Amino acid sequence: MQAVLASDYSFAQFQYLRRLLLVHGRWSYFRMCNFLGYFFYKNFAFTLVHFWYGFFCGFSAQAVYDQWFITLFNIIYTSLPVLAMGLFDQDVNDQNSLRYPSLYKPGQQNLLFNKRQFFLCTLQGVTTSFLLFFIPYGAFSAVVKEDGSNFSDQQTFAVTIATTLVIVVSVQIGLDTHYWTAVNHLFVWGSLIVYFAILFSMQSYGLFGLFPNNFPFIGAAYNCLSEKGVWLVILLTTTVCVVPGLVVSFLKVDLFSTLTDKVRYLQQSRKRHGPQEQSLRRVRRTSSRRSGYAFSHQQGYGELITSGKNMRRSTVSSACSLEKTTNGSNWIGNVLKRKNEVSCSSQEFIAAPEGNSSATKTPRQQRTD
Amino acid sequence: MVKEEEDSSNRPDNTAFTQQRLPAWQPILSAGIVIPGFVLIGLAFIGIGVGLFLTSRDIQVLEMDYTGADGSSPCSVCYNLADKNCVCTMSFSIDSLIKGPVFFYYGLTNYFQNQRRYGVSRDDKQLYGDTSNFASPNSECAPYQYISNVPIVPCGSVANSMFNDTFELFKNVNGQSLPVPLDGKGIAWWTDYNVKFQNPNVTPLINAFNGTVRPPFWSKNVYELDTTDASNNGFINQDFLVWMRRAALPDFRKLYRRITDGDYSAGLPAGNYSLKIHYNYPVNGFGGKKKVVFSNVSWMGGKNEFLGIAYLVIGSLCVVMSVVMLIVYAKFKFPEDN
Repeated sequence: MQAVLASDYSFAQFQYLRRLLLVHGRWSYFRMCNFLGYFFYKNFAFTLVHFWYGFFCGFSAQAVYDQWFITLFNIIYTSLPVLAMGLFDQDVNDQNSLRYPSLYKPGQQNLLFNKRQFFLCTLQGVTTSFLLFFIPYGAFSAVVKEDGSNFSDQQTFAVTIATTLVIVVSVQIGLDTHYWTAVNHLFVWGSLIVYFAILFSMQSYGLFGLFPNNFPFIGAAYNCLSEKGVWLVILLTTTVCVVPGLVVSFLKVDLFSTLTDKVRYLQQSRKRHGPQEQSLRRVRRTSSRRSGYAFSHQQGYGELITSGKNMRRSTVSSACSLEKTTNGSNWIGNVLKRKNEVSCSSQEFIAAPEGNSSATKTPRQQRTD
Repeated sequence: MVKEEEDSSNRPDNTAFTQQRLPAWQPILSAGIVIPGFVLIGLAFIGIGVGLFLTSRDIQVLEMDYTGADGSSPCSVCYNLADKNCVCTMSFSIDSLIKGPVFFYYGLTNYFQNQRRYGVSRDDKQLYGDTSNFASPNSECAPYQYISNVPIVPCGSVANSMFNDTFELFKNVNGQSLPVPLDGKGIAWWTDYNVKFQNPNVTPLINAFNGTVRPPFWSKNVYELDTTDASNNGFINQDFLVWMRRAALPDFRKLYRRITDGDYSAGLPAGNYSLKIHYNYPVNGFGGKKKVVFSNVSWMGGKNEFLGIAYLVIGSLCVVMSVVMLIVYAKFKFPEDN
């Protein structure tokens, strides 16, 4: 009892450790890395526009955006979608996470967020900020409204770039999210709607009438966003910022596909043609061999019983990839190894790319947890 | 052995939300979506690019630099002169009709209206007609806040540096110079004219400005900007509004007048013209240049080839990338039966 009170995590049975590590631990690592990478990208894209603008405003630290936009950008416009991604995102569902424990390897090998990944996120942020500034710069150097009146003014420039930025980062998080729950939809589309709502309300006549010195952008949003030319600029900039990332991620899946990609495709194809095969398999399921032994000091007879040697069992291969994943504690590796469903399936799957196609066709027992 | 009651009270919630089983859409970037998508985007962009480029090509623009820095222009005599009332005349000819309505802009280069200290040096409350700020202007306006303890209205560098060259256009018809009517109504934004800038609610207007002084660079008071038209006088003077809307980049153009009336409603016909310039605005101090621009507009605004070319380039790149991705996909086909 005291141990439970003093600990961060406590659970009653060692079998729960498996789910904690392979499902939740892995998801947590995956979400955290995605979250971090996106956060750096978003903030570099937002801030470095001022660096490029410095060359054209005499290095006077003139802000490109409205002061209110700078305040609200990280609080309201872009905080919720990334929060939802950090809470709900799953690359592979929980059953497949347990079925293919090798998916845990990227976490151990620090593959998803290291210096190289950080550099790539930063590079993407810098490139986005470059495009975000220079495409409107090129378009605004000689632009006028449809009625001929002026258009290339500071406030229109600010509203254009701010709107483009919010749309680009929202599209980017849309492409980064792998698991779209209702909450994700609400946060992403909601943030965009809230941005436009706040933009038009802050640059409206009412607020300006109350505080003229604090809301100088009166009329800017209406005049700016009612011009077709501005929307063409926004469309072009959004596409140019988002498309390279899309190309790279698509090519990476084809050229350097990881286990995660393969499992995701498998998951998707199973969902599409799977249900009838899976129901057949369920009929063949044997009784669960889980036992409720918990060990505090020594192994005891738990291994013997849970290995099912005294019960009916099928052949199991001892050489298992699990050995590689559980380097530390030997005894848990042994316990997990003896659970024959897991070792069978992972073994067959790992063997598959080496040409052992017949093994993949054998029906596997449905893993329940 | 675990007691049933303890078990049920310690058991975590088994809802879809807490157990992370929420129903979700799990999109995967498959080749069937990405490659046709890229082709579609590429073709759409090429279409838009062609449309923009052709529209921009049809816009006619006539630009003339009248700074007079190099000594060869008729206005060179005014370039270094301290005399504020220098007048010079530029002659030019138009080969073919510039279709109306024609817009007359003045342009400045190397002029950083987007400099931060310059940009904050204004008092929006004064310009909104709040007379309490007439007596004590915003401190951001310094050093154009007081002159010998008398408040400046309108205060600040932005107002002080207002462009004050004026132009008159004449057409040479049979040896005579006929003036071309220039329309200065509605050249500023509607929101600027009606909401952002308002005159104090005092008639006659001059009474509101008792105890204030005009900015040092101005030769007229703000209530004398247009004595012929009360709706164009004071803070709501259209030229003043156009100047107060700060430009984003150091090379900019601002609308001066429109040419839409009378004989010129169809545009500026071909012929010889002369432009009389009251050269008041000195730019030699910072190496700036001044120019006038005559242009017509289209649905996408003024002449701007950048957008059309950019769309064409991006559209072609998208199509090329989709071909590359198709080749890569076909060669390294992802083993889906694994």
